[in-house]
Order: sequence, then structure tokens, then C-alpha cells
Amino acid sequence: MRKAFVGLIAATLFMFAFSFMLVPLYNVFCEVTGLNGKIYGPSDFFKSEQEVRERNVNIRFLSQVNESAPVTFYPSSESLEVVTDKVSKTSYIARNNTNKTLTLTIVPSVSPGLAAEQVKKIQCFCFEEQTLAPYEEQEWPIRFYVDSELRGNVNDIYLSYTLFENNRENSMVMHHDS
Amino acid sequence: MSAVVENHDHHHGPKKGLLRWLFTTNHKDIGTLYLWFSFLMFLTGGAMAMGIRAELFEPGLQLMDPIRYNQLVTMHGLIMIFGGVMPAFVGLANWLIPMQIGAPDMALPRMNNLSFWLLPSAFTILLSTAFMEGGMPGFGWTFYAPLSTNYPNIAYFVFAIHIMGISSIMGSINVIVTIMNMRAPGLSLMKMPLFVWSWLITAYLLIAVMPVLAGAVTMLLMDAYFGTSFFDAAGGGDPVLFQHIFWFFGHPEVYIMILPAFGITSHIISTFSRKPLFGHSSMVYAMVSIAVLSFVVWAHHMFTVGMPLVAELFFMWATMLIAIPTGVKVFNWVATIFKGSITYETPMLFAIAFVVLFTIGGFSGLMLAITPADFQYHDTYFVVAHFHYVLVPGAIFSIMAAVYYWLPKWTGNMYDEKMGKLHFWLSFIGVNVTFFPQHFVGLAGMPRRYADYALQFAEWNAVSSIGAFLFGLSQLLFLYIVVKAVMAGKKATPQVWDGARGLEWTVDSPAPYHTFEVPPKITEQTKL
Repeated sequence: MRKAFVGLIAATLFMFAFSFMLVPLYNVFCEVTGLNGKIYGPSDFFKSEQEVRERNVNIRFLSQVNESAPVTFYPSSESLEVVTDKVSKTSYIARNNTNKTLTLTIVPSVSPGLAAEQVKKIQCFCFEEQTLAPYEEQEWPIRFYVDSELRGNVNDIYLSYTLFENNRENSMVMHHDS
Repeated sequence: MSAVVENHDHHHGPKKGLLRWLFTTNHKDIGTLYLWFSFLMFLTGGAMAMGIRAELFEPGLQLMDPIRYNQLVTMHGLIMIFGGVMPAFVGLANWLIPMQIGAPDMALPRMNNLSFWLLPSAFTILLSTAFMEGGMPGFGWTFYAPLSTNYPNIAYFVFAIHIMGISSIMGSINVIVTIMNMRAPGLSLMKMPLFVWSWLITAYLLIAVMPVLAGAVTMLLMDAYFGTSFFDAAGGGDPVLFQHIFWFFGHPEVYIMILPAFGITSHIISTFSRKPLFGHSSMVYAMVSIAVLSFVVWAHHMFTVGMPLVAELFFMWATMLIAIPTGVKVFNWVATIFKGSITYETPMLFAIAFVVLFTIGGFSGLMLAITPADFQYHDTYFVVAHFHYVLVPGAIFSIMAAVYYWLPKWTGNMYDEKMGKLHFWLSFIGVNVTFFPQHFVGLAGMPRRYADYALQFAEWNAVSSIGAFLFGLSQLLFLYIVVKAVMAGKKATPQVWDGARGLEWTVDSPAPYHTFEVPPKITEQTKL
């Protein structure tokens, strides 16, 4: 009876630990399979120029501002026709609409998710935190290329950036009187 | 048998006064506590449902602002699941498992006491948020992050869930240890009554997934107060990860709420058909398969988050696979009824309604499992209709059936059969009038979780609200019938129902405070 009891307690503790293990497991799973459209850091990997199957891919740029961050944020061009394995350059514009200095994090996402791995960024404002002085407007460049190993059926790629304001008060105070 | 029991004169009755209930380690007392507690929660959650349906009676905002509405929806879900259905099943387990396996009590009686008394504290914490600035949680019972991490009073919610989880886990450990170690000699696992089997499997599911729920709410707490970013994209976290973790718990959880119902239904249908259950072992294997499959279907709750095609297909097929063992169970119940000498007492009516209406809920579940169709059904009232069909005329009808079926054993008095039938018909009509129209408005595109809706849904919502009031009010009749049977009524025989089989029917009615201090002999008659 004691054995069964101890075993069950151990199983409980294991499952509790397992729920936390799911976090790294999920990230590893997404990284290995390239699912979820996540992008993992800058890419410094250039292919040697051999038998490149060049083709044109249409990249569309999207921007979102999370909740009510007081920032205007948009791509300088809505789309770009790029050639695989050739480095392209574009930019996003961000403007601080307040009289305070803001620190911002911008999270990228690629759709379709299976193309995420082939979108290689060399320079991106999403690699580190950005700061905007009061009412400052900045142009943030990105440099990237699309690897020619891109799946044949992908001709359009959506590159989306969501802008978050850091250190914002976690307050969604519920006002109501009933 | 009764004479044997009375010969032990060292038997002592329960303590007198209220402290009896606070300190009791008797499985029957604790079972009673669980059942009354769950009924209280059922009425509380039910009152919230009445508020929801009153608001939805006509379009526009009448009675409450949308924030209050969201709070009621959230609390209704949490209370019905964790306070209503789950404790009711634990109460039944406490009363019945020792008597059905010929054990004198649960294996860990003090832990049993603690696991009950944790529950009132958990729900006091959860409900206390109603009196705080910021109010009750309003993010839905699924508490998707990062919405929930931005709510006030989330710490109360998190700790309440922790305490409920600890209570459930202790209850499950108790059930498993009892079943594994305290069966009467000769009662092998495969001979065990199906209610005991269903609870054994449920207890394993609880131990596997309640800690995951605890982990999820702990991460939520850390995100909200300790600056981590498990689920916050701004800090590198992933909101979709939350949904994976939550539903890894959430899907086995829905089987936790239905497996004991399968066990109960098997007993009742066999009794009132006066036939042994058709396919006892296949019932066991079906439940085990359902439990195993429940771990690989979780993402069918999140088909629309943008999973790759392979994953959508895997979760679609795995989900549809569950229809097979479930179909086996429904087939076995029908085959048990077939050519039986059937009588329609109240427990049988509830059990038959369970089989029919649960199957309807199962079919709408199959529709929802079809990935492309789910993109249309997702987050509409069709989903609401589906899960209420499997939970209300599913889980809750089975609990009511169980109460009517075993009440004479618990109280020693027969309940009022006429009133019982009236309660059944009112509930049956009420439940269908409430939830069937929700299929229609759901298919027409009415989204769930909103306090208001477009005009074209007005008629069916009014019908649904009327059904809900009928169903809600008729539960007061249930309370009256139970109280009346506790107080007085025709004396019940030990056998109670002439087709009943199993060890619990060999002891007196009401069951003495202590039963089976000497292990019983297992005979053909006592085997289910």
C-alpha cells in the first residue's frame, strides 16, 4: 500500500515537472520542424554559389501594434519582389506619439510557417530592443534573403512584425459599478 | 448478511454534532459531504447560468455590462466543472467503491477528510473575488494567456485552482490505493464492477493531468507577477504554447467528467433490464482506450491557431478514432436493454436519456472533429451546444441517475417515485429546449462568449432561455425529493431493486456506518 502511495505521489510530481518541460520541448519541436513561423536569431550563413535555382518570390510586409502601444508603426513598402539567395533591403517606420521615451520589442512572424526557416535575416530591428525618444521617428532597416531551398509551392511570403511596448503597467483595470 | 453485521457489538456509530462532519474519516460521511457540496455548487453555478440566459433572453444589454457577463460565464464554467461535476463523482466514489469491492473504508481515510475540506476553502477563495475591486475572473474557464495574465485578482484564481488540484490528486491517490489493495478476496480486476473500473481509470487520468494544470496556472502566476514571459510574445514567449499546455490537461479532463458516468449507466441499465451487462470486458477495454486516446487529441480544440496540415490531419483522425470505443459502449448498453424485462423507474429514465442525449453530443463532437468544418464551427454556439449535451444530459444526468439509484441504500428510504419521474421529465424537456436550439444559432454563426448578439438569433435565444429557466427551477424539485427521502419514506429493503447485482446490495438499507469489516465472499450473485 505504501509502495502504491509513494509511486502515485512521484507520478504527480513528475507530471508537474513535465508541464514545465513542455516549454523547452515545444520550442525545440518548433525549431526542428520549422513550424509555427518562428524565427530564431540572425543568420550568418551564406551558401556557396553553386547551382542556385534562382526564382522570384513576392514578400509582403505587415505590421501590428499590440494592444494600445502609443506608437505608429508601418512598413516603408508593402511588398517586394525578391530573387532567392539575393540580399534585399527594406525598412519599417516607427514614430513615438508620446512625450516619454519608449522601449520597444518587435516580434517577427513568417507565414506560411513552413517557409520561416528559409527567410534569413542579416539585419533586423527585431534582434534587439529599440528605444524611441519623445515624438521621435526612426527608420528601421532590415536586410534579408530568401534561401533557394524554399519549397517550390511557396510564391508569396508574409513577413509580419508585432510591436510591443516594454515595461508597460500590467493593468487592465476593470471598471464597473453594479 | 444483515444479521452478521449486527452481531459485531464493538460497532460504534458516528460522533454527535457538527464536529462529526469536520473530523470524520468515514467514507460514507465524506461521500455525503462531497455530494452536498457539489449540489450547493451546482445551484451556485446554475444561478449564474440563469443570469447568463436572462441577459441573452433578448438582444441588447439588459441586466449587466459585458464585463459582468464575462465573469458569470467564467465562474459558471469553473464552478460547474471543478465544484459540481468532479466533486459529485468523488462523492459517489467514496460512498460506493468500498462497498462495491467489499472493503471496510477507503485506504487513506485521513487524507480523504483533508481532500474534501480543501474544496470549500478553494471555492471560498475563488468566490471571494466577487467582493473585490476588479471582480471575478472574466477570461473564460480556459483562461487563455496572455489575456488572463492581464486581469486583476488572478492570484486568487491561481491559488484556488492549485487547491482544487491538490484535492483531486489526493482523492485519486486514495481511489487507486483502495482499489489496488483492498478488494475482497476473489474479486479480480476483471470481475470488478464497472463503476469501480471507471473510477480507477479516471483516477489515473487525474494524476496524469491535474499536475499539468497546476503547472499551467503556476506559469500564469509567474508571468503576471514575477516578470517571466512563458506566454507573452513581447518577452519571447508564445501564446499558442499556453493553449497546447492547457488542452493537454483539458482534453483528458473532459473524459474525467464522463468516464464515471459510463460506469454508473452500466450499473443502472443492467439492473432495470434485469440482465447482466452485455460485454463487461469490452466495456473495460473501451474505457481504457478512450483514456489513452485522450492524451493525443488535445489540439482539436485549437484547429484554427495555424497548425501545419499534418498536425491538423493527425488530430482530426485521432479524435475520430475515439468514436470507436465510445460506439462499443453505446452498443453494449443498447444490447443490454435488448430483450430485457425493462421497468422505467427514475434512475432508468435518466440512464436511457443519458445514452440518447450523450450520443447526440458525441455526434456533434464528431462534426467538430472534421478540421475544415471546424473552422466554421469554432467558437460558435454549436460548440456550446456540443459540450453542454455531453456535460448536462451526459455527466449531470448520470449523477442524478446515480443519486436516485443509490439513495435508498444511503438513506434507507425510497424516494417519491412520482416526483422523481416529474423531475426527470421537466429536466429532460428543459435540457433539450435549452441546448438544441443552440445548434441552430451556432451553425448560423452566432459566436460564443458575448453578452449581446445579432437580431436574427433572437427567437432561438428566447426559446433557449425559457428552457434554461425550466431546467434550473426543476432542480429545486430534485432538492425537495432528496430531502424528503432523507427525512422519511417507504422503507427500502437491502436489495432495493430486484434486478440489482453487486456487493452494496447485500448490506442493510440504510448501509450501516461500518460495512465489510470482514471481507465478503464473492459469488455469482454479487458479481456485476
